[in-house]
Amino acid sequence: MQFSIHPNFFTLTDLYRPISLSEASLSQTNEHQFSPGRDCLSRRDFFSRTSDGIFGAGLASLLASDLIRPTRVHAATATRTHDLGERAPDFEPRARAVIQLFMTGGPSQVDLFDPKPALEKHAGELPRAFLDNVESVGMAGGLLPSPFKFRNYGVSGLPFSEILPHTSRHADNIAVVRSMWTTVFNHGPAVFRMHTGQTTPVNPTMGAWVAYGLGTANQDLPAYVALDDPKKEVICGIRNWQSGWLPPVYQGTRLRSIGSPIVNLHAKDEFPAPVLGLARRLLRRLNTHHRDQRPGQPDLDARIASYDLAARMQLSATDALDLSQETAKTRELYGIDDAMTGPYARRCLMARRLVERGVRFVQVFMNCTRSQNPWDHHGDIEGSLRHSCGETDQPVGALLTDLKRRGLLDSTLVIWGGEFGRLPISQLGGSAGRDHGANGFSIWMAGGGVRGGTTHGATDEFGYHAVEDRVSVHDFHATVLHLLGLDHEGLVFPHHGLDEKLTGVEPARVVREIIA
Amino acid sequence: MRAAPLSECRVTVRSSGAATLWVVLGALAFPLAAQAGDTPALSDYTERELLVNVFQAHCISCHGKIFQKGGLDLRTRESILRGGDSGPGIVPGKPEESIVLLRLVRDEMPPTFSLLGDDGYVRRVNAVDIDKLRAWIEAGAPSDPVEKPATGQELHGDSSDDEADQPFWAFRPPRRGDPPAVRDVNRVRTAIDAFLLARLEKHGLSFSPEADRRTLLRRAHFSITGLGPTVAEQDRFLNDSAPDAYERLVDRLLDSSAYGERWATRWLDAAGYADSHGKISPDRKRPYAWRYRDWVIRALNRDMSYDEFLVDQIAGDELFDHSDPDQFTSDNVARLIATGFLRMGPDDTDEGAQNHVEYRSEVLADQIEIFSSAVLGLTLDCARCHDHKYDPLPTRDYYRFSAIFQAALDPYDWRVPSEYLYAGGRTLELTPEHRRDMPFGDPEENRVVARLNADLDRQIKEQKQFLASKTAEYRNQFVEKKIATFDEDTQQLIRQALEVPLGERSDEQLTALEMIQEELSLHRQSLRERSQKYCVETDPVYNAMVNNLKARKPLPAIQCLRDTGGDPTPTYVLKRGDYRSPGARVAPGVPAMLREGLEPYVVSPPNWSSRTSGRRLALARWLVQPGHPLTARVLVNRLWHDHFGRGIVATPGNFGRTGMAPSHPELLDWLATEFVRSGWSMKTVHRLILNSSVYRQSSRFDRARHGVADPGNVYLSRFPFRRLDAEVIRDSVLAVSGRLDRTPFGPPSGINVSPEREVTTQFNAAGARRSIYMLRKRTTPLTLLSLFDQPLMQPNCVERARSTVVTQAFQLYNSAMLRDCGDHFAAAVIGAVGDDSRAQLTRVYRLAFARPPTAEELELGVGELAELEKHWRASKPANEAPPPVRKLALATFCHAIFNSSEFLYVD
Repeated sequence: MQFSIHPNFFTLTDLYRPISLSEASLSQTNEHQFSPGRDCLSRRDFFSRTSDGIFGAGLASLLASDLIRPTRVHAATATRTHDLGERAPDFEPRARAVIQLFMTGGPSQVDLFDPKPALEKHAGELPRAFLDNVESVGMAGGLLPSPFKFRNYGVSGLPFSEILPHTSRHADNIAVVRSMWTTVFNHGPAVFRMHTGQTTPVNPTMGAWVAYGLGTANQDLPAYVALDDPKKEVICGIRNWQSGWLPPVYQGTRLRSIGSPIVNLHAKDEFPAPVLGLARRLLRRLNTHHRDQRPGQPDLDARIASYDLAARMQLSATDALDLSQETAKTRELYGIDDAMTGPYARRCLMARRLVERGVRFVQVFMNCTRSQNPWDHHGDIEGSLRHSCGETDQPVGALLTDLKRRGLLDSTLVIWGGEFGRLPISQLGGSAGRDHGANGFSIWMAGGGVRGGTTHGATDEFGYHAVEDRVSVHDFHATVLHLLGLDHEGLVFPHHGLDEKLTGVEPARVVREIIA
Repeated sequence: MRAAPLSECRVTVRSSGAATLWVVLGALAFPLAAQAGDTPALSDYTERELLVNVFQAHCISCHGKIFQKGGLDLRTRESILRGGDSGPGIVPGKPEESIVLLRLVRDEMPPTFSLLGDDGYVRRVNAVDIDKLRAWIEAGAPSDPVEKPATGQELHGDSSDDEADQPFWAFRPPRRGDPPAVRDVNRVRTAIDAFLLARLEKHGLSFSPEADRRTLLRRAHFSITGLGPTVAEQDRFLNDSAPDAYERLVDRLLDSSAYGERWATRWLDAAGYADSHGKISPDRKRPYAWRYRDWVIRALNRDMSYDEFLVDQIAGDELFDHSDPDQFTSDNVARLIATGFLRMGPDDTDEGAQNHVEYRSEVLADQIEIFSSAVLGLTLDCARCHDHKYDPLPTRDYYRFSAIFQAALDPYDWRVPSEYLYAGGRTLELTPEHRRDMPFGDPEENRVVARLNADLDRQIKEQKQFLASKTAEYRNQFVEKKIATFDEDTQQLIRQALEVPLGERSDEQLTALEMIQEELSLHRQSLRERSQKYCVETDPVYNAMVNNLKARKPLPAIQCLRDTGGDPTPTYVLKRGDYRSPGARVAPGVPAMLREGLEPYVVSPPNWSSRTSGRRLALARWLVQPGHPLTARVLVNRLWHDHFGRGIVATPGNFGRTGMAPSHPELLDWLATEFVRSGWSMKTVHRLILNSSVYRQSSRFDRARHGVADPGNVYLSRFPFRRLDAEVIRDSVLAVSGRLDRTPFGPPSGINVSPEREVTTQFNAAGARRSIYMLRKRTTPLTLLSLFDQPLMQPNCVERARSTVVTQAFQLYNSAMLRDCGDHFAAAVIGAVGDDSRAQLTRVYRLAFARPPTAEELELGVGELAELEKHWRASKPANEAPPPVRKLALATFCHAIFNSSEFLYVD
């Protein structure tokens, strides 16, 4: 868990009161001129040094009244503090929290959300152009019609595959984007692209950017939580929720959905209660004595506070993830006690409990016991896709139902999707599956300001290539940030001499068509 | 006659595909296809685009520098025209007679299997490029317009991009000035002090009072060795009343082997050291990376001069003829190991799916980023896609620089970083010429491994035979059973068909066999699903075989970088960084903005061999010129940064305009020139810093003095108070508990990954080794270390973060290792001083804090120990044997000490 601690800033306030930063000195652009004295502190110089967070947090809270924030860009580079205190968005947000149901492996759009009758007509044919983007050319078969039937659901008549009976009940809350496309068709780079906007593994994830932009309401829980299969690691592992070059305080915290939610939240063999109480008093005595002899070192206050917070979190994290507090009916709704749906159901229910308690961004990953890329259905699309839907559909439907009945869906953005889609042609070898497809795929969003019952964009008649209203990964990111009240152009962080942002350098567009 | 549009050619699908493959057509509204059907317009860049995207990317591994299959070399327009055994490759104006084009269109080339034997990941030349090739041939295969030949001036620096007059300070050679005069001359021990004090005095400040001797002792120990002083070392220094006791302490510490272990951590951060490939999930181990780690430790301990240190790491392979076994002396082996520096970046191209130009280019780009941030202190990577927005660094310079490394890391002539290529579930053993690593010549090591593997291989062979025969036996049973279900005639037909050799069977026979196809194709996995008995009989053998395969050790090798054999593929400026958009061709070179006072970068291949380009050796020589604007400055600044928590340039990886200006430019230049003058001796710089008054001052913050004039301690009006680094915390916990195994060097020590995915240290009988010797996989860093900000190497780190987060508290307070070390700490204390609480507390304080407790602390501590003892006693049921409550009490106390700020911070 990456919490930066709010120390008692009393000493710090005392310490820095004499500095006043005039607007003139703050707005100076000639930053490579190091001029000494109190005027030397250009904002950027000053804050780019506060890499440990504590120092920055204290100063920024102190200086906040002095600093005029002409644009968010300046706010971001200058006054951003490395803590998780709640921060105001740029404009009125539609969503306060995000639950990202990340479907690692690449779910097949033509079998789930994007029906393509033309596949029947041309079954078995193989257009040459497909081969440009096929990983295993020797395995490329002909166009493969979906083995599943589609039906229209809800008032809106949104089509869903028959293997999504629970999700499809929420058709009128769901907006399906059918024209997503990405740049790579290998899992690792594509997963990075979907999380960070880039294909290289070094950059901050969307959740980290959101934690950086908005902080969180509940200081006893992390801002950004990852719920993954506790038994087997998903592809790219901890880098699915990394902070990259953002300060580590914005990194996602992996909470385990079985057993203790955080590594070492409790000692394996705890001291007897009276000994523990005494040992904690002893530590506090050592630390306050040490701190008192060293004025002007706010990190020492933070260190002491971290032990207090640790004690509080033992309770709050345990409570947040204690599913025994849920009614039998709710457990049944999610399918907690069913072997097939159970693991994913636990994580979906935990996601709801976390969002309810103010956690900002929750990622829910699939079970990986069968594969590190659970939606990677290279073989037997019929059986394996049915299985993946069987594991997830009921929990996902239940999550939407549950959020709705608790009045949380309006303020919670739920995102469903993977790193790419699959090809409409079959992949040979064994029973027919589908290979990776990056040129066109579907994701969906619900709640949090999303216009339900809509589709956006379209692929060609085979579902291979997004042709209408194409939505890039950057567009997708811009849209999520927008729903959270953040301007994607303004959420920047200075890194390697650039103001970096989640949406990169190519223009990105908020997909307003799916916003209510 | 105009050739029929190629898009109408029908081609037969290769045997593995069952579908009819037809090339697109207009018949379907299909965007890419429609696009591909149009005649593409030719541009000024068509020739090089085709050379790069068609021939370099798909053809030249068989038709290029190393192999010219069919007598064909497809590297240049001329060689393509010339063609091979079957005549010209292309005939200008006649696409239908151009063999190369026809082979591509018919999908006969590239072959399904790559040179590496990898069948899953051979990419086709895409339709757009094929159409472009056709259009180009039709147009007479024109050459690109001739570029203005690059002059020497342009290659080595033209002035057009630079500011008219004064170059930026960091791009001019350091200028050594005299140390300024100061008022408080008594505080000046070294020139460093004079530069700092002059600035302090200007602001009405001075150095803080000198720290007491115990503080200095602890500080110097942690700074130089990364370990606190033992009790004996404390006694030795504190009892030494000679006036130069401190200076001799510094010498002693710099001479200790722990110095290299501590400071290698920093260099390895900058180099991006890891024992695994990174990037994708398998994160495979790099079994020989540790040799480079050891090389760095040894080089630092013998104070190898920094110029030699750099030359070996950048171009050790170009210093001798490594194709000549007689030249494999231990010095030359060490030089090859040193080039491991340029192999540290993440590289997952041993995965078939990642072994393509775009991923290889990323490996090259990462390596350039590592090099430029670690050695040059520049953010070169900005210029990969566009001219640098702040520094006079055009994209052209990036690709010139890239060309230096491309001679070894050539995306079009690649070497795989592992012994194997992992392709779609298959593991293909690579021949030496396809591997980057070089077999290591130590005969003894080879013998040991060969003996181990021979033994395992024999077992594996037997196990394979056993499994194969069992599998055949069961398959036959199922086949027989299936056959028995048919009528007599069919049975006979099937049996006859089975007798006929493959390929000679009639259609009727083939049809008959389809009926038992499922049984015929039963393999281990499907048999396991069908027969419990098969599982029982074969699983133990199978598992034993897997274990044997895991136990096999790769033959020793060196993880080194070597030139691909001279004559690298051409380097182009890539428009927007896109490897498919080649622009102007460039020659290797260094950033033009760096030229003042420097001999130009000149490549001269070594006399002894034409098999290496000499490009990196030229870079190394260019870098270590005494007047180089960046080489010495960047290094001394990083040493300074590591001692004071902030560099003179506070952005150690960025000396450009977007970096921060030096707080003390004259000091930086003085130090840089002093460093060169000392023979590039890093120990000299350390000694200078540690012996200066600035290093010896107290860290106490005095609000009245510092609060206004130097709140951020930019002027170093006090010593910076800091938390210990991750590795130092771990090593110290082990050291005071008597659990630190000081065995140096060799393969890394193991880690455990718990079901909760906590990554912990594997202990041996002697304890555990220093952090630098622990296995460093990118995806499973030791939890304790990563929580305390040990960087993840993606790709490297020149400036660590320092966070204070709650998970650190969970780790230190609740983890089993810390609880266990508390017990060991207590046992060691009792072993040393017996049962007396006061003696115990004194020992604990001296070991952990390098000071005895005060009288008050002693009183409080004795009381707390007694109370802990009471609670421990009370917590055990009366009927149990009396627990060693005194020891438990002390262990609880020691555990609190590990969590205390005084243990974790240095004054």
